[in-house]
Amino acid sequence: MSGVATGAWVGELAQRHLDAAYNLGRWLLGNEQDAADAVHDAYLRAARAAHTYAGGNARAWWLAIVRNCCLSKIATRGRDRPLDDVAAAQPRSAGDEVEQDADAAQARARIAAQLRALPPEFREALILREFEDLSYREIADVLGVPIGTVMSRLSRGRALLQRALGETMPERSDGL
Amino acid sequence: MDCKRAAPLLEAYLDNELDRAEARELEQHVDGCAACRAALTRLGELRAALRDRSLRHAAPASLRERIDAAIHAETGRVAAASGATGRGRRANARLPAWSRLAAACVLAFAAGGASVYLWKPHGGATVAGESADVVHDLFAAHWRALAAASPVDVVSSDRHTVKPWFAGKVAQAPLVRDFAEQGFALAGGRIDYVGAQRVPVLVYRHGQHLIDVFVLPETVAAALPPSLAREGYGAVSLRLGGQPAVVVSDMDGHESAALARLLDAPQ
Repeated sequence: MSGVATGAWVGELAQRHLDAAYNLGRWLLGNEQDAADAVHDAYLRAARAAHTYAGGNARAWWLAIVRNCCLSKIATRGRDRPLDDVAAAQPRSAGDEVEQDADAAQARARIAAQLRALPPEFREALILREFEDLSYREIADVLGVPIGTVMSRLSRGRALLQRALGETMPERSDGL
Repeated sequence: MDCKRAAPLLEAYLDNELDRAEARELEQHVDGCAACRAALTRLGELRAALRDRSLRHAAPASLRERIDAAIHAETGRVAAASGATGRGRRANARLPAWSRLAAACVLAFAAGGASVYLWKPHGGATVAGESADVVHDLFAAHWRALAAASPVDVVSSDRHTVKPWFAGKVAQAPLVRDFAEQGFALAGGRIDYVGAQRVPVLVYRHGQHLIDVFVLPETVAAALPPSLAREGYGAVSLRLGGQPAVVVSDMDGHESAALARLLDAPQ
């Protein structure tokens, strides 16, 4: 009977953090279909592994499973499958600002492109930190690496982004 | 502190990972050092750029439907698998007491989940708005703690251990007191989430009952009623040393009220 209950618990967790899961999948896998498939796999895996949850941040536990499913997906699809081209991968803009903000839109596109170009281990650490607001400890748990490694990946990722963005817009160091 | 020590700490400061003493030291250095201030500003700008909502991909409706269907199928599958109730009782008898307790708690969780679903059909239009979310988070966090291997992150009956543990993790450490003599023994504390906020939780024991005291930000607490109940669990609002707090447990109303009075009382 506890199984029914556990299923409900995980289901609710998945529904609540579906955007976070999909976003992580999108940034790790690069396209909509693979990201959706990975999240679906993650839910099934989570529902059957609910007993492995041992306290702590449940969202981090869920994202760790999503990430594992993304890694399996990458392993099975090989390296030949192309990522979305930059235009197609551009996330929908949140606001409905008119194109007088062409500069801002361009700056956003540049950041998206640079984030996509980062080595995956730096990109995933940054996404968990900046998008999901996880602590170093939680990121370490999701990635299965020591906290020191999390710190150095974040730091390297940020430095690479700053440098890349500085190169693409040399005269505007204040960015957005 | 000099630049050599400050520079590697800037990111940890930005990420809220320094303890208070270190953070204060770093702030003092940054106040007087233009180079470190500029570096911190650049990191802040990068953060603002990365946190732009346009970079986030929202789950498509088709995926949401897929997951809803999978949840439905999964719940049905497990229900069918555990349908053979005849051996349930015997299997139960072999399990240690704690696992029966955990199972009971998880069951209560499912019941809670079901009622949550009623007030919040499809997660879209909320009926009771923000306060329904807060109420839901409080009960969900409590049930999750009951089902977890350990409901506390810092195990201690000593308030002098628990309070400093909070100090490095939340903006304002709560007032921590032990009421063992009155029957409510301090078991420890943990950090939990209410919405996107990290909140301190004091954990007490009263007989077989495990009690969570959530210390909430004013803005979150404002929407809460003085008391409420879900599936045999109750929540009572009070003020703990000037901060709003909520007692969540499966105690009787008068027991919850007794603890609330103790917590509410001035030091």
